Amino acid sequence: MNKQKVYNTIHYVLLIVLALATLLPVLWVVLSSFKPQSELFRVPLTFLPQKWTLQNYVSSLQAGNFPVYFSNTVFVAVVSTFITVMVNLMAGYALAKYIFKGRNLIFTIMIATLMIPLQVIMIPIFLQLKNFGMLNSLWGIIIPPAATPTGVFLARQYLVNLPDSLIEAARIDGAKEYSIFFRIILPMSKPIVATIAIFSFMWRWNDYLWPLIVITDNKKQTIQQALANFVGQLQINWSDLLAMTTIAIIPVIIVFLAFQRFFFSGIAAGSVKG
Amino acid sequence: MKKILGILLILVLVSTTVFAAGTKEETGKDVTLSVLWFNDANEDEIFLNTIDDYLQANPHVKLDMQIVAYSEYDQKLKLMISGGNPPDVARITTNTLSVVVDSLEPIDNHVADIEAVKAQFLPSMVAFASNTKGEFVAYPTEATANGMLINKSAFDKAGIDVDEVSKDWTWSEWESIVKQVVAANPEMKYGLTVDFTPHRFSTLMYQFGGHFLNKDQSNMEFNNPGTIAAIKWFKHVHDAGLVPKSVWLGSENPAELFQAGLVAGHIGGSWNINTYNKNVTDFEWKAVRMPKAEINSSVPGGKFIASFKGSKNQEEAFKLMEAFADKAHNEMYSRDTFNIPSRVDAQVTYPSNSDDFEVFLEELKVTPAFTANEWKNTNLSKVTTYIREQIVEVLLGNISAEEAVTNVDKKGATYFK
Amino acid sequence: MKQHTKGNFHQTAAPLLFLLPNILIFGLFIIVPAIQGLRMSFTEWGVFTTPRFIGFANFVELAQDTVFWKTFSNTIVYSLFTVSLIMVYALALALLLYKNTIKGEKIFRSLFYIPSLLSMITVGIAWRFILGDEMGIINYLLRQSGGSGIPWLTDGNLAMVSIIGVSIWAQAGYYMIILIAGLQAIPLELYEAATIDGASTTKTFTAITLPLLRSTLLVVMVLSTIASFKAYELISVMTKGGPGYATKLIVQQVYQVAFLEDRMGYASAMSIVLMLIISIFTLVQFKFTGKEQDYE
Repeated sequence: MNKQKVYNTIHYVLLIVLALATLLPVLWVVLSSFKPQSELFRVPLTFLPQKWTLQNYVSSLQAGNFPVYFSNTVFVAVVSTFITVMVNLMAGYALAKYIFKGRNLIFTIMIATLMIPLQVIMIPIFLQLKNFGMLNSLWGIIIPPAATPTGVFLARQYLVNLPDSLIEAARIDGAKEYSIFFRIILPMSKPIVATIAIFSFMWRWNDYLWPLIVITDNKKQTIQQALANFVGQLQINWSDLLAMTTIAIIPVIIVFLAFQRFFFSGIAAGSVKG
Repeated sequence: MKKILGILLILVLVSTTVFAAGTKEETGKDVTLSVLWFNDANEDEIFLNTIDDYLQANPHVKLDMQIVAYSEYDQKLKLMISGGNPPDVARITTNTLSVVVDSLEPIDNHVADIEAVKAQFLPSMVAFASNTKGEFVAYPTEATANGMLINKSAFDKAGIDVDEVSKDWTWSEWESIVKQVVAANPEMKYGLTVDFTPHRFSTLMYQFGGHFLNKDQSNMEFNNPGTIAAIKWFKHVHDAGLVPKSVWLGSENPAELFQAGLVAGHIGGSWNINTYNKNVTDFEWKAVRMPKAEINSSVPGGKFIASFKGSKNQEEAFKLMEAFADKAHNEMYSRDTFNIPSRVDAQVTYPSNSDDFEVFLEELKVTPAFTANEWKNTNLSKVTTYIREQIVEVLLGNISAEEAVTNVDKKGATYFK
Repeated sequence: MKQHTKGNFHQTAAPLLFLLPNILIFGLFIIVPAIQGLRMSFTEWGVFTTPRFIGFANFVELAQDTVFWKTFSNTIVYSLFTVSLIMVYALALALLLYKNTIKGEKIFRSLFYIPSLLSMITVGIAWRFILGDEMGIINYLLRQSGGSGIPWLTDGNLAMVSIIGVSIWAQAGYYMIILIAGLQAIPLELYEAATIDGASTTKTFTAITLPLLRSTLLVVMVLSTIASFKAYELISVMTKGGPGYATKLIVQQVYQVAFLEDRMGYASAMSIVLMLIISIFTLVQFKFTGKEQDYE
């Protein structure tokens, strides 16, 4: 029994040390957002603020359009997540539960495109968006990234494991294909829906390159762009930057905590069988 | 059949929303000017404040400020121009000028007497803003100069009268003086820090008698005795521990090091005055004349506003810019952003630091004119990042200064073909 | 088990219609631009000039471009170390946290996952404050206790170590979650049987856990490899590719050539090479783990 206790203690200590090491940088950013700018660069450096101030938050919230950036990013993340989930789930379903010519080819191409760095195709994408009139529009950052191969991959893996018998039974009963999808598959896909939703929300929330390519209009920018704007040609506006960074972390954490339960079972089913 | 139609219908609806990312129609006389802008501090607010009287007097004009991060500014502008919808007005740096100069709408086409207009501004600024055809393509707003800001308290503690010694000093004199300063101040570690940009480095290069291009800017000529001497000297001060390695090798921010009291001097520029005013509370600082090697020199620079060929609302754009560049507005803007005005007739009374501005103006006055011609050269602008990388290679000890300049000339030559 | 088509209209049309939105978006906004990118690699093209067809000249130039090959080797080094270390670390964390036996396990999982939620720019900024030579926290503490600072970001080799370390810090939580799921799917009876047979912990691990974890490990390996080849924002913020070329990856060079040196064609050629490398890596990984993608 003692051996077990020792083992447990080591286990705990190890976890706590690692967790601290993992969180300290984040904590530092958050705490620094409450320091006045002059304190940030004073030596000796401080961890906890010597002088707590909300000035950074006040000035960055006033400085411009912050509520607009925030609502833009929320809109983009939520709508894009919704589209992503639907589109990826449907695609995953097609690849998982039907046989048809070209199925493997399509799947391979999708995975292969994961390898293309966005910088590489930035200019052609820009020109393409221009042709479709989606430049400088939030739809330009909602729709193109929605067909993410990772989402399709996860959806397919998950759906492959759903029992065919349900589908066959429904067909025998004369149900139409889309009805099967919406009335049977969808309800059974809660875990993977939650998984894709969390990932998609997080990716769109943290997107930087896409909005950079597409959006110029100040009123349509997203939070990540706003953060980058604080880095000027000649100097960096640290106080506003840190405050906004802290605020920007919160929604993602909230979404994660909310969907967490489904998350684990979703990834499990999605990636274990392969 | 029905369900196929159903799905098709959904797809059609989705695609129509895609295409409905509409454009705004301008009705009647009302004009909304798109203004592309980037900030160092809060220049956009000051701009709007300054131009407010013009907007009040012209209620049919509205401004749509579009702020872009500086690091992506040039790329963004290029994308917009190549995409066929450039902004009506854009804030332009000298760097950006060299990139987009051929896409700018010449002011010549919009004023009666272009020579009279040009005469209103500093000659170096006019030189920057002239294209290869001699047309004047951008209104200068603020002028910037590189210069040296020092930690006066540190010099005092070492018993050195910095105003006296800096009147006409050389870099060798500077070296022995600054060693005393560092020795007298236990918290201070270095004598100098230089911003991690080719522009700031070129201050040293010009002072050592070097240059980037040949006499008529038709080809690279980075390989010259002055440039080589400058690079070697730069390596020497790094190796001697007078300059922190973490700036040019580790991208640490030099202004932050200066504010923390770790370095005795900072080769930055007139724009640092504003920041240091706000952030430096622990010691006294001021601008002093830079040492010389062969010559005294700074590097001219500045910002402009310009409009583009193909901009939608050119007439109104030019009226706005003309107003913003006139004496009253230029003075107000320069005063509030703590910058040097670009107009020769501007009289700016700064709330503080007028001595510091005097120093920068002095530096600008002795700067040779060819420096502006180099920095506005489009081909050079494509090689500057490579130049910076090669200098770092020398600092790292991977190659010699001679090899570095040879590499640069080789690479640069391909752009001048 | 697979669904067999009965050759009737609904079954053939249905999958394609389900796929259609995805393929439409995908095709229009990824595939078509990618093909454009391929075409661009055979041209000399500045943003304001018209493209000029030059055949394979870009690729020939690439073969002799020492800077490119430096970024190439950096990319390989970065990917190899990041991927292998992430897998080890994520697996270790997962092993510590999958059994559901410890109080607060769910909280720990969330804590380790938090770095993955941050944008790479945020991560870069935070770690610059920590690792900065003069102003960084670690060096400050070292100097306070009488030591001297370590050039985390100023020395070529250390800078590479730093960005690898930070990348692991930022992403391990994400892969830990995937591995936890994989571990939880292994039936307990197998472990019980092994204990009855008197197997040691190591033997249980190698004989039961690892083999059954293989497909999950493959997923982690592939995803982390692809991510490592695309690492851009983190390095830009932390080291700008420096010192010198020490931490410059192919992606940084692509961006610089395309936008700062204004040679989109040449940059496209570089990207083609990058994509080929990624493909080879991925294929090797598939073969190495002895498992092809399940396609039936």
